[in-house]
Amino acid sequence: MATFTINGTTVTVEKNQKLLRYLRDTLRLTSVKDGCSEGACGACTVIVDGETCKACVLDTDSLEGRQIVTVEGLTDWEKQVYTFAYAEAGAVQCGFCIPGMVMCTKALLDKNPDPTEPEIRYAIRNNYCRCTGYVKIIAAVKLAAQILKAGVLPEKGADDWKLGSRVQRLDAAEKVLGTGKYPDDVYLDGMIYASALRSAHPRAIVKSIDTSAAKALAGVVGVFTAADIPGSVKVGHLKKDWDALIPVGKMTHYLGDAICIVAAETLEIAEAAKKLVKVDYEVLPPVRNPKEAMTGPLVHESGNLLAHKHIQRGNPTEAIAKSKHILTQRFTTPWTEHAFLEPECAVAYVDGDTVVILSTDQGAYDTQHETAPMLGLPMERVKVQNMLVGGGFGGKEDVTVQHHAALVTYLTGRPVKVKLTRAESLLIHPKRHPMDMEISMGCDENGNIQGVAVEVIADTGAYASLGAPVLERACTHAAGPYHYENFECDGWAYYTNNPPAGAFRGFGVTQTCFAVESLLNEMADIVGISPWEIRMRNAIRPGEALPNGQIVDNSTGLVETLEAVKPYYDAAVAAGKPVGIGCAMKNAGVGVGIPDTGRVKLVVEEDRKVHIYAGASCIGQGLGTVLVQMAVTNTDLKRDDFVYERSNTWLAPDSGTTSGSRQTLVTGEACRRACEKLMEARNAGKTLEDMVGETYYGEYLAKTDPLGANVPNPVSHVAYGYATQICILNPKTGKIEQIVAAHDVGKAVNPLSCEGQIEGGVVMSMGFALREQYPIDGNCKPIDKYGSLGLFRAHEVPEIVAIVVDKPGLNVACGAIGIGEITSIPTAPAIADAYARYTQARQFDLPLQNTPYERKA
Amino acid sequence: MAVKKKFPYKAALVACHGGCRATGCTYGCTGCGTCVSACKFDAIAVGPDGVARVDEAKCIGCGACARACPQQLIHVHDCANYIVVKCSNHDKGAAARKQCSVSCIGCRICEKTCTASAIHVVDNCARIDEAYCLSCGMCAVKCPRKVIHDLRGICAEK
Ligand code: FES
Ligand code: FES
Repeated sequence: MATFTINGTTVTVEKNQKLLRYLRDTLRLTSVKDGCSEGACGACTVIVDGETCKACVLDTDSLEGRQIVTVEGLTDWEKQVYTFAYAEAGAVQCGFCIPGMVMCTKALLDKNPDPTEPEIRYAIRNNYCRCTGYVKIIAAVKLAAQILKAGVLPEKGADDWKLGSRVQRLDAAEKVLGTGKYPDDVYLDGMIYASALRSAHPRAIVKSIDTSAAKALAGVVGVFTAADIPGSVKVGHLKKDWDALIPVGKMTHYLGDAICIVAAETLEIAEAAKKLVKVDYEVLPPVRNPKEAMTGPLVHESGNLLAHKHIQRGNPTEAIAKSKHILTQRFTTPWTEHAFLEPECAVAYVDGDTVVILSTDQGAYDTQHETAPMLGLPMERVKVQNMLVGGGFGGKEDVTVQHHAALVTYLTGRPVKVKLTRAESLLIHPKRHPMDMEISMGCDENGNIQGVAVEVIADTGAYASLGAPVLERACTHAAGPYHYENFECDGWAYYTNNPPAGAFRGFGVTQTCFAVESLLNEMADIVGISPWEIRMRNAIRPGEALPNGQIVDNSTGLVETLEAVKPYYDAAVAAGKPVGIGCAMKNAGVGVGIPDTGRVKLVVEEDRKVHIYAGASCIGQGLGTVLVQMAVTNTDLKRDDFVYERSNTWLAPDSGTTSGSRQTLVTGEACRRACEKLMEARNAGKTLEDMVGETYYGEYLAKTDPLGANVPNPVSHVAYGYATQICILNPKTGKIEQIVAAHDVGKAVNPLSCEGQIEGGVVMSMGFALREQYPIDGNCKPIDKYGSLGLFRAHEVPEIVAIVVDKPGLNVACGAIGIGEITSIPTAPAIADAYARYTQARQFDLPLQNTPYERKA
Repeated sequence: MAVKKKFPYKAALVACHGGCRATGCTYGCTGCGTCVSACKFDAIAVGPDGVARVDEAKCIGCGACARACPQQLIHVHDCANYIVVKCSNHDKGAAARKQCSVSCIGCRICEKTCTASAIHVVDNCARIDEAYCLSCGMCAVKCPRKVIHDLRGICAEK
């Protein structure tokens, strides 16, 4: 027992527990986020006697007499200052880390009103942010310090909400103050907790499941196995190969497989009950890598090859053979964990004859489409509401907890919360594919690429997830953003008993880009021109054909991005600093002939405001802000006339998954079209009052040609973004001094958000290039500690110069091209090239070794 | 002597919390005062409990005391890393337990709890790698021997 003060109120806590649990579960101070409960992430940071502390670490019994402050306990003035500073600086993306960052900011500024930048970096360095790369958070702390000193809030830098305006994001305040709700912040009356028992073996037959002892435990509401599933046991984003629960007599596919779900009055009881479940397994040898998968036992009855992709134009073998300079090299890239700050969580309840799921995902409709057949219900009887999403990066495209929550509430009638622990999250959701790539390139004496041939082998793990399209994108984009004709890529993705691999920011291109760009850098050395020059010579320009045959439009701005980095590149070379370079292209939109539709409904409601409904998830990138800027620009209405509604499956029309950098373009164009309809009414003289009850609907089908279409110049994708990044090293320390990232985005809807995407993407891929690890042991068991992934921390991040290049030419979405993924694609080859110049030795495997950032065991 | 300190600040750390000499620990601080004489900044003193203590506000992390210490139990650390191990006993668990009430017995509970894999038992004594430590204090909270301290006095005793 202990007595202490929280936000000025004295409390006495009888039962010893972690402070985090008391703050959230008893006091409902939900600004204090639970990102890991293991002391790693910092999302739970509070202030104890003036010092920052992680609330998941402290026992309440140890707090006698302490004064504790959470974001809820800030003064009104402080709330205004931090909200303004974080919003104005563009520091808020998914927002899950932000309340913790605000606590660090306050603790720092209370003691040190005028901190230096290194002091700011140190003040937040024990807190991870996976979205922002910390750059704008640091700027927010500086701005907060200025405002606190001045004593008055400054004017907003931009407030017209037109395209191109650096407006504050519309969801900044709720994220800074912690009032916005992620699923875990929802507490319903009578809510129970459910958790799945995971397989003890990556590959084994489940002989029997004895749940009797678990069911008998007081407080257990039910223990459910596959036999209790009313509909299809198999779920899956594209291919239905994922067992919601492993049926008795069937095989497990990885250690994350759910054997049964325990529902109980409290989480502790559920955890205790899990230990009482007896499972009998017939253990089988696991398939640990693609090599074993090629010849070894079956992971799935359908065979171990999930997908084989072959893409060819021209005759690269011949073209390479005839080339003056030929290079062939093998590259490997590792598994990568998304490490979004918010672990998977869903709350579900029954409302009449429907099941409602409050979810954090990349597509509410995806969750509905996966869950309803499992429950044996028609689609409309499963409703999904998107809550705030604490980061996704591709890792929240598949259902992980949503279907389990739906099943438990359907079977028990009770509201239920299912949340993954951080260790479960690391194990369960699909990761970035590790790839093994062999690539050959031929160039003429001037460095003009004659042909490229690539082979890719990917470990797609236990389930299909988005493995096949990821492999396909890895293959198509292995060509690079260059104008040559002879290209071939052969790719194979194999099932193994490792955790599944699926979508991850970059969608396979991150891997093959590392290979082709690294080879091009080596080629420049052989030809005797600079790596910048070889790119300039080969760069795709408007009107030219890509190796896939597509003729690119006037928005194609690779050359502009090369020119944008040139002054930095030349200055660094002149100063004798090691500098590396990489280019990239990334499609916006699904492409390759797959139907890809954006849908937006503008509804004028009783409040005489236009409510924007789009069944498209904002996972932190700022979709709501994009759509409002799109709407303000394309109507005669003001910002305050619009209300952005979070995605759901019953009011918002299906606008597809937040994936493939597609929302800004595809849903953005649908929004523009809906605005056109709305403006017809306006132009007919209607006021908002006249329009109450009206709906204006916009739809856009991004039409493309399938791969291998029998046309001379197929349109594989409606748009591509282009980028050049350079990495400059300090020649004395070998550390990164500066990364300059120039991105062609067509039309930047909000340059502030664009910069945030660039900085976050760059830092994420600094991790990919230099340090991040997701090791898997000989029994297919991956790392289970968030703090050991090797994510970059605030004090380690170098200066990042984000250059947003606007280039008109795309005739949809006001020219805006999504930037979500490309920001992390060219980073790794640029960094690898810089270190190759620094150490005089090229490396072909990531993460790089022997850099100052390498984590030694 | 006032010296302008450069951020990030460094300071000496005495890896001993006392309570041992009477019961036979040969690794701990003997209160000999060699470090006190070696320090030009008046930043280290032997406390009433007979254990040397550093004043981080005065210490510049020059390491003179660490070099002078006959027991070799002082090292320079990053002040921002306030979670520290205050023990230098390298005997096996049972022996270490007998010698001192606040000795590291090498049980490795800290190692298992640490999310960052930043603490390891080396030669029967826990050691933090400050480059990786996230200063959460979980090891300090879980340490059954109270060997791990929070220099701010929040997660554990100073
Ligand atoms: S929840 Fe406490 S540090 Fe992650
Ligand atoms: S904004 Fe920091 S983790 Fe998303």
